[in-house]
Amino acid sequence: MLSIFLSHQRKSFWRSRNKGGSIATQIIIGFFMLYFLLVAVGIGFGMTVFLPKIFPNQSIMTSFNGIILYYFAFDFLMRLQLQDIPTLSIIPYLHLKISKRKIINFLNAKALFSGFNIWPFFLFFPFIFIEIGSVEGGLVAVMYIVAILSIMVSNNYFILYLKRKAITNILFTLIGLAIVGVFAALEYYKVISIMAASNYVFSAMADKPYLGLIFPAVAALIFIINSNYLRSNLYVEELGSKQEKKVSTDYAFLNRFGKAGELAALELKLILRHKRPRYSVFMGLFFLLYGYLFYKAPYIAADAFSKMIFASIFMTGFSVLSYGQFMFAWQSSHFDGLLINRIDFRDYIKGKFLLFTIMCTITTVLASFYGFLSPKLLLLHLAAYLYNIGFCTVLVLYLATFNYKRIDITRSASFNFQGMGATQWILMIPFILIPYLIYLPFGYLNRPYLGLMTIGFFGLIMLCMRGYWVNFIAKKLELKRYKIAEGFRE
Amino acid sequence: MILEVKNLQKVYGDKTVVNIEDLQIAAGETVGLVGNNGAGKTTFFRMLLDLIRPTNGEVLSKGENVMQNDNWKNYTASFLDEGFLIDYLTPEEYFIFIGSLHNMSVADVSAYLTQYNEFFNGEILNSGKYIRDFSKGNQNKVGIAAALMQKPEILILDEPFANLDPTTQIRLKKLLKEQTGNMTTFISSHDLNHVTDVCNRIILVEKGKIIKDFKTDENTLKELESYFSA
Repeated sequence: MLSIFLSHQRKSFWRSRNKGGSIATQIIIGFFMLYFLLVAVGIGFGMTVFLPKIFPNQSIMTSFNGIILYYFAFDFLMRLQLQDIPTLSIIPYLHLKISKRKIINFLNAKALFSGFNIWPFFLFFPFIFIEIGSVEGGLVAVMYIVAILSIMVSNNYFILYLKRKAITNILFTLIGLAIVGVFAALEYYKVISIMAASNYVFSAMADKPYLGLIFPAVAALIFIINSNYLRSNLYVEELGSKQEKKVSTDYAFLNRFGKAGELAALELKLILRHKRPRYSVFMGLFFLLYGYLFYKAPYIAADAFSKMIFASIFMTGFSVLSYGQFMFAWQSSHFDGLLINRIDFRDYIKGKFLLFTIMCTITTVLASFYGFLSPKLLLLHLAAYLYNIGFCTVLVLYLATFNYKRIDITRSASFNFQGMGATQWILMIPFILIPYLIYLPFGYLNRPYLGLMTIGFFGLIMLCMRGYWVNFIAKKLELKRYKIAEGFRE
Repeated sequence: MILEVKNLQKVYGDKTVVNIEDLQIAAGETVGLVGNNGAGKTTFFRMLLDLIRPTNGEVLSKGENVMQNDNWKNYTASFLDEGFLIDYLTPEEYFIFIGSLHNMSVADVSAYLTQYNEFFNGEILNSGKYIRDFSKGNQNKVGIAAALMQKPEILILDEPFANLDPTTQIRLKKLLKEQTGNMTTFISSHDLNHVTDVCNRIILVEKGKIIKDFKTDENTLKELESYFSA
């Protein structure tokens, strides 16, 4: 039975409509995985050398014992973010003559196919074989292996259990995050130490190997709890979406912009009510930290803006870029509805510009805390802001008219490359290159502020031409409407 | 003629999906489009609504080609499928949005919706759900009500009776009949009973072609049944 399920999974992957996209995704993820695996192998074999260097004041065994739980704490957090629950794929089987037990076995088996379940092998096993096996003896080494695999399995199913619970009860997510937060805080303020705890646990196990059997017992317990929960909740609606009262909202501040404002409000709701667009917009907030990497004191002192332009433009424009790269496709599920209604293409485009301007303004205002580093940076940000709302918005919307790939907006956000195409990559090139091209001559002539002014001025000119661009893009969209609508219908 | 179709063709690969030489629809007619799956009904409707580019020919709405300008959108309302609904909105938000496109205030919209209480059966408004969370039947109701709200001169509905419960089917028929006279209605349906009941003209299509076009009378249902059972 399991093999049939797996063969159906394989078919569903190979026969999916946007096969090209998902293969590309898998290849990209595959490369990431390979890279991380190589890193893991490197760390695994290098541990005998690294550990004494990083923690010179303690024995190598203490260090190794100390990092195990640390690793799994991070593993837990990463899984909380990234691990998917394999559920929806089972819906077509629920009503057939297949026992629940088999379906649950399938779900459990499928859950093990995760990158998180490979790394421990490469990270920890070399050290266990090389060091522990030769120093502490074979039995202890075996117990280490058993313990580590058990914690891995526990994490795997515990996360799934939490995630499944969290679907029906949002409280669980909050509690989970709070617990992790408290531990992180305690660790940070040195009240407790995960490292010390980890060392305590594993050195105890090295002394009395039979203690290691606790780990598989815990893993088995979690596995059983998870399976039982699944068994008693194997209903599509309980595994699927959560029910909460939805309310109508009205963004009064957008009403003053007329039809364009109305359309912007519509899109704002789209962003706030779906995970993936929300994620891609809020990633912009995360990228606000970019400045700390690029705004270095010597650069600021020397007015070396050429080294900082990229960061400033990226920070102030990231939301526009990451949301805008899938422009129009966000609305693919109801694009027909937009076309047949009394919506002027120009209003539609104006609405997008309005939305972008709002996003950009918010990130720029937030980014102005870099002004504490140096007020010069505010000037840099102003130029970047003008460039973004003037030029980047136009670029994004123009390229959007070449995007015919449907996006299923309800799907999850992380590692979702659906709808990605060449356009998105092309977008990056002029976005980054143009400000440099404008700035470089001034940089060579040692007129950094004139360079910034020119970038800002360029943005300002484009902004003044917005009426023209609205018409231009509306025309393009009008020409391509059949092709876009057809692509979105697939 | 409020709607004219001339030499309309849609070809996918080597398959002609729609091929209508001439079709004239007068203002106030209620026209039913009947045909088996794959007869090209939805493709035809999409071309009427300028959602697909015809391979040949044109659709004239009040004498103007729908591809050339948007004037037809001012007096045409339609609901073909859920793709027409903005499914992450609550029904109220959706109605208000559609209303705003026709310069209706929030008060206008809610006043209008009160007459649909019976049609909605208390399940649509103030339900605390987004449109995507509704059943297909209820989504249909939202789409149809939103279309009627625009007080259109031309109304185009694709299979409006599908997925509706019997009570609502009867209510919908009543609604459509009440509107006749001041509105040109174009509906497709697989339900011969309903379509002969509501429409005063039936167009029978097969493989993209019109093979029959006649006024309904007491024999229509029998004729259609004999055609489809053949």
